[in-house]
Amino acid sequence: KAPDLSNVNKVSSMFEDVEFCVMTGMGRYSKSELESRIAECGGSVVQNPGPDTYCVIVGAENVRVKNIIASNKYDVVKAEWLLQCFQSKMLVPWQPAFMIHMSPETREHFAREYDCYGDSYTADTDVAQLKEVFSRVKDNKKMPLDLIAELEERYSWNSCKLCIFRGNTIYVDYYAIINKPSTKIHGTRLSIRALELRFYGAKVVPLLEEGVSHVVIGEDHSRVKEMKALRRMFGKKFKIVSELWVTESVKEGVPKNETQFLI
Amino acid sequence: MEKTLIRIHPVSDPEAVYFLQVSWEKDVSSGFGIILTDGERAWTGTVSEAEISREAADMEMNREKYVEELKKALILGEESAGKYNFTVSVDEENAQCHFSYERNLRDGSFRLGSLKLQKVPCPADVVRELIGYCLDCLGGLQVKNEHLQKENERLFCDLSDVEKRLEKCVEAKEELEGDLYNRFVLVLNEKKMKIRNLQKLLNEAKESAVDT
Repeated sequence: KAPDLSNVNKVSSMFEDVEFCVMTGMGRYSKSELESRIAECGGSVVQNPGPDTYCVIVGAENVRVKNIIASNKYDVVKAEWLLQCFQSKMLVPWQPAFMIHMSPETREHFAREYDCYGDSYTADTDVAQLKEVFSRVKDNKKMPLDLIAELEERYSWNSCKLCIFRGNTIYVDYYAIINKPSTKIHGTRLSIRALELRFYGAKVVPLLEEGVSHVVIGEDHSRVKEMKALRRMFGKKFKIVSELWVTESVKEGVPKNETQFLI
Repeated sequence: MEKTLIRIHPVSDPEAVYFLQVSWEKDVSSGFGIILTDGERAWTGTVSEAEISREAADMEMNREKYVEELKKALILGEESAGKYNFTVSVDEENAQCHFSYERNLRDGSFRLGSLKLQKVPCPADVVRELIGYCLDCLGGLQVKNEHLQKENERLFCDLSDVEKRLEKCVEAKEELEGDLYNRFVLVLNEKKMKIRNLQKLLNEAKESAVDT
């Protein structure tokens, strides 16, 4: 049913000659309240969208809204957009975040202005907007550590305090038998060291094989001989360092030179 | 009152076993009492503060150093290391026992002290007291041991709990990082694709400008 808007006081003309169709209200703003505020700003309101309707405003989605979306004829916009217009007293440009559904023409326009995640090609972004954009990335793949290391190198983020051990592949000597993860010695300081290494960007591996850059050793040096024998067969030589290398590097926030920690 | 009990083998009769209890107030240097027993007979005596000073002076030794030596010989029982010798000679006639202790050196030995101990009329009382003392010590140690063991278990539990929590934090950090970088790269590549498209359009426009 159409509300009686004959006696509203016009406060602005930002919606002059713009026709809206408000489907549902949201939170503190009922459908009729939104309608009367549109009228205050010079806009007109219809109960069913027609050829002259600028857009459909939706607070909460329901069956009628779903039908409108299915017709693919109208732009369906969140009521938040309207509230932002009222607040800033101007016609706020549509952004992907506001759009519940887009007509084919609007979709094309958006494709020119925004990438498929809704990030503008031209307008600067900020933390909140980027968070929104990221939340629209549905691809939940996790980037592997070596790619992160490359990326950080390319953008010179590798001086960050959380990247002390980035790019290093580290075997921690907390298995009673080398390369036998089932023989892990629990409750030692080395397991904390391993977590620290991971926290500060290292790739901690359960096998001492080609490609390992460091081996971290605790107080127990009983397996060092065997490791050195293994190292002789490797093309790329790893460094055997005491756990102090980890603690000292973390303490100073930079990777310390290994030479004074070699075993 | 503090006490210690050690086992000694006198050099005169290495097969024999004597028990030596030393008791003192606060510090050994202010004098101490001695009880010596072989399980059947017992003798007792005291060494006063003045006697300690005199012995140290006789040996021209720093008093503190002398007291350290006494402690090593009579309290810590370093006899087993062969560092200290004891002699016990019983004089049944006078109901006395001559007891002396000396520091063993590579070339001989020097006497740290000697004293006459008086025979105790009822040695069973002394032995009873010594066994009582040992049992008290044992009980105390057991309680302490249990307490420490419990404390140790608790610390170990706490450690593994914290370790598990830390591991979760590290996993969450790695996951967040991997996820954010992934999203970042996808959005970044969209921008690069746009730039490539614009470059293509620019080149096409240039070509068509040349053509006309």
